[in-house]
Amino acid sequence: MTDTDRGTQRDRDSAFSLFTQQSLPACKPVLTPEWVIMTFLFIGFIFIPVGLVTLRASHSVVEIVERYDIGCVPEPFRIDKVSYIQDDSIPKNCSLSFKVPKYMKAPIYIYYQLENYYQNHRRYVKSRSDKQLLHGQNEHGISSCQPVEVNNDRPIIPCGLIAWSLFNDTFTFIRNRAELKVNRKNIAWKSDREHKFGKNVYPFNFQNGTLIGGGKLNPTIPLSDQEDLIVWMRTSALPSFRKLYGRIEKDLDVDDVVVVHLMNNYNTYSFGGKKKLVLSTTSWLGGKNDFLGLAYVFIGSSSVTIAVVFTLLHLLSPRH
Amino acid sequence: MKQFIISSETDAIREVEERGDQTEIARFMKEEVKKQLKQFLDEAPQYFCSPSGPKLALVIDGKCLMYALEPSLRIMLLTLSLNCSSVVCCRVSPLQKAQVTSLVKKGARKITLSIGDGANDVSMIQAAHIGIGISGLEGMQAVMASDFAIAQFRFLEDLLLVHGRWSYIRLCKVVMYFFYKNLAFTLTQFWFTFGTGFSGQRFYDDWFQSLYNVIFTALPVVIVGLFDQDISSSLSKKYPELYKEGVRNMFFNRRVVAIWACFAVYQSLVFFYFVSLSSSTSRDSDGKMFGLWDVSTMAFTCVVVTVNLRLLMMCNSITRWHYISVGGSIIVWFVFIFIYSGIMTRFDRNDNMFWVIYVLMSTSYFYVTLLLVPVAALLGDFLYLGVQRWFFPYDYQIVQESHKDDADSINKPDSQETKEHLTPDEARSNEISQLPKEVSKHSGFAFDSPGYESFFATQFGKYVPPKAWDVARRASMKSKSKPK
Repeated sequence: MTDTDRGTQRDRDSAFSLFTQQSLPACKPVLTPEWVIMTFLFIGFIFIPVGLVTLRASHSVVEIVERYDIGCVPEPFRIDKVSYIQDDSIPKNCSLSFKVPKYMKAPIYIYYQLENYYQNHRRYVKSRSDKQLLHGQNEHGISSCQPVEVNNDRPIIPCGLIAWSLFNDTFTFIRNRAELKVNRKNIAWKSDREHKFGKNVYPFNFQNGTLIGGGKLNPTIPLSDQEDLIVWMRTSALPSFRKLYGRIEKDLDVDDVVVVHLMNNYNTYSFGGKKKLVLSTTSWLGGKNDFLGLAYVFIGSSSVTIAVVFTLLHLLSPRH
Repeated sequence: MKQFIISSETDAIREVEERGDQTEIARFMKEEVKKQLKQFLDEAPQYFCSPSGPKLALVIDGKCLMYALEPSLRIMLLTLSLNCSSVVCCRVSPLQKAQVTSLVKKGARKITLSIGDGANDVSMIQAAHIGIGISGLEGMQAVMASDFAIAQFRFLEDLLLVHGRWSYIRLCKVVMYFFYKNLAFTLTQFWFTFGTGFSGQRFYDDWFQSLYNVIFTALPVVIVGLFDQDISSSLSKKYPELYKEGVRNMFFNRRVVAIWACFAVYQSLVFFYFVSLSSSTSRDSDGKMFGLWDVSTMAFTCVVVTVNLRLLMMCNSITRWHYISVGGSIIVWFVFIFIYSGIMTRFDRNDNMFWVIYVLMSTSYFYVTLLLVPVAALLGDFLYLGVQRWFFPYDYQIVQESHKDDADSINKPDSQETKEHLTPDEARSNEISQLPKEVSKHSGFAFDSPGYESFFATQFGKYVPPKAWDVARRASMKSKSKPK
């Protein structure tokens, strides 16, 4: 008797019958006040230390930001900056100097920062041809590059607005009358250099039109080695962004005076953009950004506050 | 119980019938019915005044019903019936069954359910909102015409209180969750448009958007729709008042929808701003900055993880299928993005997704953000759920909490230890559940038949205590047969 009992029970509990009879074993979590308080305390317990560590990392980064697009325009031209920048006969050299506020350990990264520059505009992002970048002149039908597709009936390589608007300010750094060498290699993503830009593709018919958008490219260097272009073509997410220019492999001591000789070539004046030069060290988390650390601390501390409030409520008016 | 009886077997009516004049019979019966209806309708209100008064019942037979359903008397019949706790119509034809059902359906404007087992019930089953057929002795016509089919009449209780209620809750959850997850996902793109000069640049890659609802968030919600149980089946039957939650539409009204929408907006703000503000200066170990597609992949990962975890938060019962589907969806996302950004074909569009995830995952920024963003997004929901359950609980939540320490013996009705605590009814159903299940589903007995039970039970040596009404019936049968 008991054997048949067990037999039928096993049949009844078979996986299929549990499924169809809606009696799958389940855990039924019930969110009691104790669980709520414990969860908030746990979150606070984890988040506040992580936030403090993250903040420390962010504060350990030394960052120097210098805006130069206004200061580098000579006095007589400040009224009409656009015609200044578009006039090739005016020399565009400029110097600025700054003091290093804290000890900066190598490698020190040099970025140029542009603001009010919408690299994430739909027509702009669309305006490139990855096929052409990889395979060169053999590619046809690159209408996505309009209007920078052909010039004088000959194709432009690399085509598209993104390449046409290449940033072309240059910077050299002098410290104590000795030039600081800037490493301009390996500034683009390795995957881009090796797989997205062709080793046999050379610039052709580039920036030959009437309207110059940005820098020119050396036609003897293949695209996979044109790292400035590669860095520039990785369009950024927000209207205010930084792109890597190069690296200084030496340490900078505190109160060092660094003089920057730059060529103010790039036209951001037509649309009210800003240009800034950034020198920054790096931490395990990245650049100087307090946001993550502050967010962690804020959420951790609000969790703890909520937990305390709930504990008081629980003690003062417990439910049955 | 106060019974109002409208019968055609009264002496007055029989007298008129014996006279044989059809028109006069018709007229007289109509007058009678009208008189009685009026009389009962006047009597009924006095029973309402006292809350402890007897319940009202109306009994009407087929012939009288024919006159009562005429347009002039229909309203009175409806009003009287709605005031009664139960109405018994005997000796009615199938057409009349359907007519009564339609009367209540249209007149009272409530949801009607009809249940029947024979071919004569088909019109009634089809006239009601929900028709239930009992498969059995009288054939399958009722089943074929019905919306639901059950095997025995007593399963109706399960159908309504357990499965009907669960179905309502599951439907509300699935629909709300679907709107919520799409709202959170789409609004994140919406906040991006403010930063693109309103040019309409997409934030996410095309494939992410297409596959979001198909692969990355589809299966968990199906599992919830199939398996979510707020309270177990035995508790559902123990507290039938919980059924009112469905009647009052407490889980899908404007307030609930507005709250979900608000949290979706809040979460989308967290997704977009936390990710984009923190990635503006983040970089990989060699100083290279992130571009548009890197930021959007980061945001999308956060969206997928958060939305799946939110599903777990809103479940009342979590089976292992939930874990499998939620974990599986997140893993499928990672597998997909590994493959997608690892290959490059000639047919690629100009979005630069190549190698994005590998670079992202090599930064510690990715992991720090992946811990922060889902928790920040879900914190609001969690707080709301906790506060709602603590200070403004729904009825089912109260039931859940008071019974949360019950042993999980619901799934195993044959546990020997609890035998002593069972009532006689439960003991009976215990014994019966231990009988071998019949292979054929058309066992034929619409109502619990003592004959069926005791026959099969004795075969297996089980003792089934007889029901009181069965004993009385057998005794009366014996006494009836005696004089012969």
